[in-house]
This record gives sequence, structure tokens and C-alpha cells, in this order.
Amino acid sequence: MPPHPMGETAGRRDVLLMGASVALAAAGCDGPDEHGHPLHARPRGVAAEDASYATVLDLEGLGRGVLVRTRAGHAVKLEGNPQHPASLGATDIFAEAAVLSLHDPERSRRIRRDGAPLPPAELDAALAEARAALRTAGGAGLRLLTGPIASPTLARLIGEVLAAYPGARWHQHDPLADDAALAGAMAAFGRPVAVLPDLGRARAVLCLGADPLGPGPAQLRQARDWSSGRREGRAAGRMPRLFVAEASPSLTGARADRRIPLHPAEAEGFARAVAAALGVPGLARQGAHPEAAGIAAALREAGPAGLVLAGRGQPPAVHALALAMNQALGAPGTSLRLTVPPLAQPEPMAASLAGLTSAMAANEVTHLLVLGANPLAEAPAALGFAAALRRVGFTLHAGQWVDETAHACRWHVPLPHPLEAWGDARASCGTPAIRQPVTLPLVEAARGEAELLSALLGPPQTARAAVANTWRTAWGEADFESRWDAALEAGIAGEPAPAIAPALRPDWDRPGEAAPATLTAVFAPDIGPEAQNAWLQEMPRPLTGLAWGNAALFDPLTAATLGLAPGDEAELTLEGRQVLAACWPVPGQAPGCVTLPLGGGRRAAGAVGTGRGFDANRLRPADGAWAAPGLAVRATGRRAALVATQAHHRPDEAGAVPRLAPGEALAPIQPGASLHPDWAYEGRAWAMSIDVDACIGCNACAIACQAENNVPVVGPEELARGRGMHWLRIDRYDAPPAAPAAASFQPVPCMHCEKAPCEPVCPVNATVHDSEGLNVMVHARCVGTRTCSNNCPYKVRRFNWDDHRRALDTPRRNPEVALRPRGVMEKCTYCSHRITAARTQAGLEGRALRDGEVETACQRACPTQAITFGDLNAPGSAVAALRRDGRSYALLGHLETRPRTTYLAQTVPGETA
Amino acid sequence: MPQVFSPRSDRRLRLALSIGAAMLLLILAVGFAYARSGAAWAVGKPAAQPIPFSHAVHAGGLGLDCRFCHAGVEQAAAAGMPTAETCLGCHSRVWTVTPQFAPLATALARGTPVEWSSVHRLPDHVRFHHAAHVRSGVTCQTCHGPVWEMPRTVKTETLSMGWCLDCHRDPASRQGPADQALARDPAGGPPPDRPFGLAARPVMHQGIEVSPLTRCSTCHR
Repeated sequence: MPPHPMGETAGRRDVLLMGASVALAAAGCDGPDEHGHPLHARPRGVAAEDASYATVLDLEGLGRGVLVRTRAGHAVKLEGNPQHPASLGATDIFAEAAVLSLHDPERSRRIRRDGAPLPPAELDAALAEARAALRTAGGAGLRLLTGPIASPTLARLIGEVLAAYPGARWHQHDPLADDAALAGAMAAFGRPVAVLPDLGRARAVLCLGADPLGPGPAQLRQARDWSSGRREGRAAGRMPRLFVAEASPSLTGARADRRIPLHPAEAEGFARAVAAALGVPGLARQGAHPEAAGIAAALREAGPAGLVLAGRGQPPAVHALALAMNQALGAPGTSLRLTVPPLAQPEPMAASLAGLTSAMAANEVTHLLVLGANPLAEAPAALGFAAALRRVGFTLHAGQWVDETAHACRWHVPLPHPLEAWGDARASCGTPAIRQPVTLPLVEAARGEAELLSALLGPPQTARAAVANTWRTAWGEADFESRWDAALEAGIAGEPAPAIAPALRPDWDRPGEAAPATLTAVFAPDIGPEAQNAWLQEMPRPLTGLAWGNAALFDPLTAATLGLAPGDEAELTLEGRQVLAACWPVPGQAPGCVTLPLGGGRRAAGAVGTGRGFDANRLRPADGAWAAPGLAVRATGRRAALVATQAHHRPDEAGAVPRLAPGEALAPIQPGASLHPDWAYEGRAWAMSIDVDACIGCNACAIACQAENNVPVVGPEELARGRGMHWLRIDRYDAPPAAPAAASFQPVPCMHCEKAPCEPVCPVNATVHDSEGLNVMVHARCVGTRTCSNNCPYKVRRFNWDDHRRALDTPRRNPEVALRPRGVMEKCTYCSHRITAARTQAGLEGRALRDGEVETACQRACPTQAITFGDLNAPGSAVAALRRDGRSYALLGHLETRPRTTYLAQTVPGETA
Repeated sequence: MPQVFSPRSDRRLRLALSIGAAMLLLILAVGFAYARSGAAWAVGKPAAQPIPFSHAVHAGGLGLDCRFCHAGVEQAAAAGMPTAETCLGCHSRVWTVTPQFAPLATALARGTPVEWSSVHRLPDHVRFHHAAHVRSGVTCQTCHGPVWEMPRTVKTETLSMGWCLDCHRDPASRQGPADQALARDPAGGPPPDRPFGLAARPVMHQGIEVSPLTRCSTCHR
């Protein structure tokens, strides 16, 4: 990683400032912020000042429904849409961070040719010329390259383009595509199939490299199902079981009852061993593994509630084996649903891009439109896409940033951010939704994919007209208006895809070639295309604690054998390609393989994203393989600059996260003796309960907190000094090797201690208690002695070493939360502005507050509903009931701080606290 | 050893020291008085507005209700400012020719808000909810003064934290019937000022009672 001088973060601030004024001018809102803007649909909220709009955001081409809270016409905060089946009211880190990308001052703002800004009319003329040239050639030489497309409107327009130009071809590329899953489905069923697991109903799950709780378009749904399955299982006294066999540690693996680190070369043999023990018919070859019999027995016991999931990076044969095992268990209809894939054209995407590259290299391509993809950064360098691209005459790139591909293409067109453009999307389960703009376009020159595609057909159509046309055809003219309005208001536009019941082909099992068991590179997703987003860059990755960059992940033993200490620089060589990467040992990494996170080392990702970490695509084989044997590693003897936060604020580890066997209970939380006088909280008493058993460490709460509370980004240098500002951090506790549940995640906000150690030590009374038990920080009184932070046993107080107000005071800031100046302490407030808003609303309506009416930002974001907030004194409140639960414990309770935030212990099979 | 300083220089030093101390006290006293005076809080100082709007004409002369332009005052935190449509609803028929209305035409044509300057602006860390106060029977003029007499809108109160607390410590003295909060009482106006600072509540910080109206988190974010 190159050094990051202070100037870079300062530069970022200036850029942010500049962007704020541009954004303000574009939105035409220079006046007081009491004024709203006309928007495109009826608001869901009550008053126009705080309206919220239902829309949908894509991840890997598939949509998750969100509600966007706007303030005076500016998008301020995203929350999940409870009605959308891929969100269920929760958000992931990418959805939460989208609002920062929307306001990114480094977004592309101008149409460019060869890097020089041009007026839009020049583009129209060039497109008209291209249209004329292509019409005479019947479209020969026209190629479209997009990301994965599930949007019905874009699929329709691409279909129309291909019909109008019979010689044209459409290619899709997604660096995270799982082409082997498609190949496995073709082998098993002869058709593409989407596997939708229902982890809520599954009693025993085997994940073969699959990461259903990890980042992805279905994460929110699967994590919710998983946690509700655990809750119901605990109530019934029969916890569901989760087995994970994987090479790289994943969030699912961290929460597995039994996790088997498996070298990629052993994956197929392991799957075969389980399949053989299950008695799956039609096995072409047997396999053996000591763990297989036990796992098969658990699956067989679960019967139709058993489930086998194969994930990214597994060979096609393992995917086919997983599908066959599910058929043998009778799982379809119970613990999983098979549907038609939501993508408009499921195809092996690495092969699709390779086809395009060879066509370009053979001079068969005259016109190339790259819509919303960035192959120069995301495709394997070995493919030679960049060299082939130079042979194409007319190249046009449409993207939100002037990225690597924009620099390599002749034309560049700014794409609108999804929050400011019309569109539509399908969720992983196939549910369609219409995307509506929630703000006036901040980039006036931006043109959507739909507009560019329709420009190939004739006069360009607006994106809104294109989307409306799609749905007018689907719904019919008669009830179009009413259904359109209803779809915009609800945020969903139809039903999920129906289940299909394909039959297993007799020749489904096609064994793959045995991979050599040499040192293997395993590629893994990271924050990838969102490298420009400072929130995502600064958020420590859950399993490594690394921020602002990536590292090659080794298992500790392999690293020691190679003579690599944490943070050492290593030279990785694969088939003659070389890259320098930092080494980071991670417990749970399978021996004999090295995990290389994709998406680092960007060359043109702005001040935030450029040069963070190393670029694993420079090693990745041209066919986009997820695992590549034959990796050579050499220590260079230099140190790499890594930013790791895990050790920053870690409290005493002994007993910090109790682990309980099913049915076991802890001693109830009882107040002990205290030197401070007692105080009766007679009114409300706010408290939070966090279920460590449900926490999957996804970081959504932490980014939600950052967005809600205007928490600044400090940059890698300051973060490395331990000056990060996150109000909510997630501590990871690694279990001893071979213990169930490899890691526990414990989110730590302010505990709002009743006997808060921070309060008596403040010389200026800047941190005080209020009558409802909130530990209140008075920023205006604080003189910055930092004594409170020294005296806080939980280390949840954050000090403003710099003045971040200029960088934060953009239209994106939440106006409900004040900005803190330099030199004052800050911390979690339990979202006190939300408490006040709810209290005022209840007062205006003349009623008492309802339980659950106040939702903190972290609670609202959590996909597994691990966080509960409410009034301890309210009869029947959920938080009071959880506090009495046998799993309830107080963090560092022996210090007698009487924290209002308490935790529910993790349940682990066959282990006691 | 001979005396280095004569008795005269000693006297001069003493005089200079006492004058210095007196000056310091004077500066402190003047500074304190200024900070407590209305001038430091821009009381009586009109803000530059895009249109020379007169509350005296509209609210006083014509008798328009406050809610005609500030529609959110009974429901929302912000009372709301009038849009170009609100103004032009009447001014497209009466008093239409004045070039002073150019900002209205611009706002209407571009779909942007009229850029009114806020006179009663509270700091960023203060949360104020108009509807909550109106529902509690606090009249408009308690905080805003007799707006209907003002040709150019000005602050009549400091809106300082001490001023807010005067009321929050003794709300009953400023509250009227909730349904009369929007009525105008030319003879009324805010009750006489109470003693400020320590004189108001001598032992506030040692005091046992902290009413919900005076705890930090009620008004601060």
C-alpha cells in the first residue's frame, strides 16, 4: 500500500466542500432548509419536511428495497423497506453507504471525449452517426457490455437493440459472478436454476463454500431467516445446526456449529463423501472425509428440512452434488425453493467477457458500449481486455465515476446514481420493484442506461418513459395508473418468481479434474466496486479488522512457515504474474491456500479509493477462476502499511462473551453495592439489549450509525493511530481452534451506565445523566480533557482530534444531529433525536409512547434483529423481557457500572460458559 | 545596598497596577453587559430579504392569519416559509406590477424555493419544535413579539439559552389556553423579564429537582 500523507485526507475534505456547493446549486436549494422540492411520488412519511420514499438499490444486479428519508429534498438516510422480501426492513453496508456515494463530489459530472468535457449535443451527434453506420451494417460490430442485468426495462431495451441490429451481441460481466453454479445447474437439471434457501425452516444446513450470511443481494433475507430459525429452535429446545466447509473464513463460517477449513482441492471429495453417506443415487465417483458421516447423519435426520448450499468458488461438480443432495433429502418445497434465475440472461460471465475480448482482438468489434461496468479494474488482467479495447473504433463508457475503463474509452457519459434515476430491478427471489428518484439529479449531464440504449434505436427516451412502457405492457393500459402508484408507494411491483420443480438428469454427476493440492490462491469478494466510498473503506472488515485496504490472508501456520509476520510484504507469483501484497494471518484460513480479496489496488478510484491495498485481479487467471493452484509466495523483507483496528479498544477478554449450552442460564443481572447514591428512575428508562447469538458481524449497524449521526471519516493515518470515530464498533472474539462458532461478534455502543464512570471525572460537567437514564454528552461544555474516555471501561468515547464539520456539512448530513467541533468528546446517544421526535409526536397526538416506537438507527438496520431498544419501566416492553432472559449479561458487569446496554449470550452446542 | 527604586517609582507602579486592574474589570463588565444585551443577539436588527415583505401590511393591515404563510406551525418542528405559489396566489391579481417580485417569478419558473433569510435562527445543536410549543399554549408573540406591527421583521427577544430556560423553569407563567396560542393580543406581549443567571435559581446545580423541561437532552441534540 502506498503511503497516505495527511494531505490526502485534507484534500478529500476540500473536495467534499467543493462538492457540497455544487450539489447545493444543482438541487437549487441555497436558501433556508425549510423548503422541499417537488418529487415523484406520494411520500410515505407524514410531513413533507421529513418524507421517505420507497425505492430499490442493486447489488450484483439484484435489488434490495429501501426507504429513503429525505430532508428538504435531499436524501439523508436509507432504511430497509419492510415490505420488500429482499430487505424485510433491514439494510446492508452497501445500501447504507449509497447515500454517501450519491453525494460524492468526485462523481463524474461531464460528458467527455478523450478526457475533454463536451456539451451533450456532441454526444447526440456521435450517437446518431454511430446509429447510421450500424444500420447499414445490420449491427455487425456492435457489442454491449453490461453488469449483470435483472432489470425488466433494461432487458427489454437490450432485446430491442439486438432485434434492431441482428449482428449485435450483448455481453455481461460481473467479477463476483458464480459461473460454476450455472454450470452445476445445467449439469443437474439441464436449465439455469436459482436456489433460494429458507434458513428459517432448515434444521440442518451444510454450506460448501457458501456464505449465505455474508455480503450479497440475498444476505438480508437469509440472515433474517437464519436468526428467526435460531430463535424458534431455542424456544423449542432444538437449535438448528449449521456446518460449513470452506477455504476462506466467512461470516457464515464464523457462526457455524462445526466449521471445517477445507483446501479447494479437497472440496469435491468432501462433497462426494457426504453425498455417498447420504445415499445420493447416480454418483459417478466416491469420496472420503472423516467428518462426512456425522454431517450426513444430521442432514438425514433433518430430512426435507436439511439443506446443502454450494457457494462461489466451488467447481461445477460440487454445485451439482449440492443440488442432487437437496433432491435426495426432499428439501425443495421445505428448506429451499428452486426458481427461474432473476437475471434476464443467465450466462457464464467470464466466458462472455472472454468472447468479447477475443472478438475485439480479432477486429470484429467496431462499436462497444460499456454500460455500468468497469472491466479494466474488475476483469483479470491476464485476459488482455485493455489491449483488445484499443482496437475498437467507437468506445463509450457510461459510469458514475471516471474510472479505469472511462480513461480507456473514447467517450465517457456520467450515469445517474440509482437514488436520482428511474429504473426497475428484480430481487434475488424474483420480486420486481420500481426504482424512483428521491432527489433532483445532482449531475445534470447524467444519462441513464435506458436513455443510452434507446438512443441506439432512435430519439432517446427518458428513463421514466422507458420504465413506464415496460410496466404498461406488463399490466395493461386499464389499471396501469393505479398499479404504478401502488408499486411506487409500496416499493414492490409484483410477486416473487414461482417455484419450479425440475427433474434431476440421469447423468448429472460429471466429476471435475482433480486439482493439485499445491499452495492455492483463493479469490474472495470485498467492498469491490464501492472503493470510492469512504464509509466502506474505513469500516473494519469483520473477520480481519483491516480498513483502508486489503491484504493476502494466510493461515497462521502457513505464514509462519513462509517466514511472514502480520503486516509483512509478500511477493505473490501465479503463472508468471506477480503482485506485492501485505500478509495477514487469519485463524480459520484453510492450510495451503491464500485468500486474495478482489477490488483493492484501484488505479482510478478517486482520492478515497485509489491505491488502497493490492489488486488481486493482476493474479487472477484469465478465465475468472475463483481458485488457482500453483501460487508462489516470497517474503520481500519489507513491511506493508496496513490499518488494523481490532486491537484498538478491546476490553479485557476474560469472559467478555459468555457461551452457553442450549438451556443453560446465567445468573440474573442484579445491582450490587455502589459508592454512588442510588437514584430512582420513575419515568421512562431507556435500555438496549443486543443478542450476541444473532449477530453476524455484518457491520450494517455501524454504518447506519455513521450515516444517522454524522460521524466523520478520519482517513487511514488517523485510524491507524486509533482515532477512528465510529460510535458503534463490533468486537470480534475468536474461539479456540476446533471450537464451535469460530468467532463471536459483540457490537459495543455506549452502555449508558447508570453509575457512569465518565461522569464524576469531568471537570466541567459536560457529561451528565438525564432523568430517563441517558448518559448525555454536552458538546458545548466539553473542554477536551479526555478524562471521561480514560475512565470509560468500554472505550466507547471518541475524541475529535480534528475539525470535521466542514467535511460533514453537506446536504447529506442528518440535520437532526449537530456537528461536533474540534477538541470535544462524542459518543453514542441512543439516537436521542429519535427519542425526542417520537416523544413529541406522541405528545402532539395526546398518547403514550408505544413499545418499539423508538427505533435506533443500528436497530433499524440490523438484518437479524439482534438489537432491541425500549423503556425498561414500560409494562410488557420487549427490552425488559429480554433483560430478564436467562442469557442476559452485562459487559464487564463486575465493575458495577450498571450498564443500560446489556447482551444476550451466544448459544453453542456442547459448550458451557 | 542602595535602593534601586525610588518611592516615586513605587507609587507609579501601584497606580499603574490599580488602573490596569480597574480597566480589566471595566472591560469584563462592559463585555458581560454587551453579551447580555439584545444587541449581541441581533435583537431589533432586520435581515436582508429577497423581497421587502412587511408583516405590518399583511398580518396587521390585512389581518392575515399567521398560518396562511407558516402552515406547519401546528403540526411540525418548522413553521414553514411561504412558497412563490402562496405569494402569487394573491399577487397575481393585486399589486402585480412591482419589479420587487422578480424573485417570485424566478422561483416559480425554476421550481426553486424563495430564498427568505431566517430572522429567528437557532444554533445547530438546538432542537425546537413549533407544534409542541403551540400545543402547550405558548403564543406566537411570546417569542416573536408583535410581528403584526413590524414593517421589517426583527427579533424582539434574544432567544438565548438563558431566555429559553426562564420559561422552561417556570412554564405555567407563560402558558395560556392552547386554543388561544395563535390569537393576537395587542395589549399582551411577553411577561416581564425575570432575573437571569444565578439570581433565578441560586442553587441550580445542587438542586435535587430536574424537571424534564430543563434537562439537556430535551432541547439539545
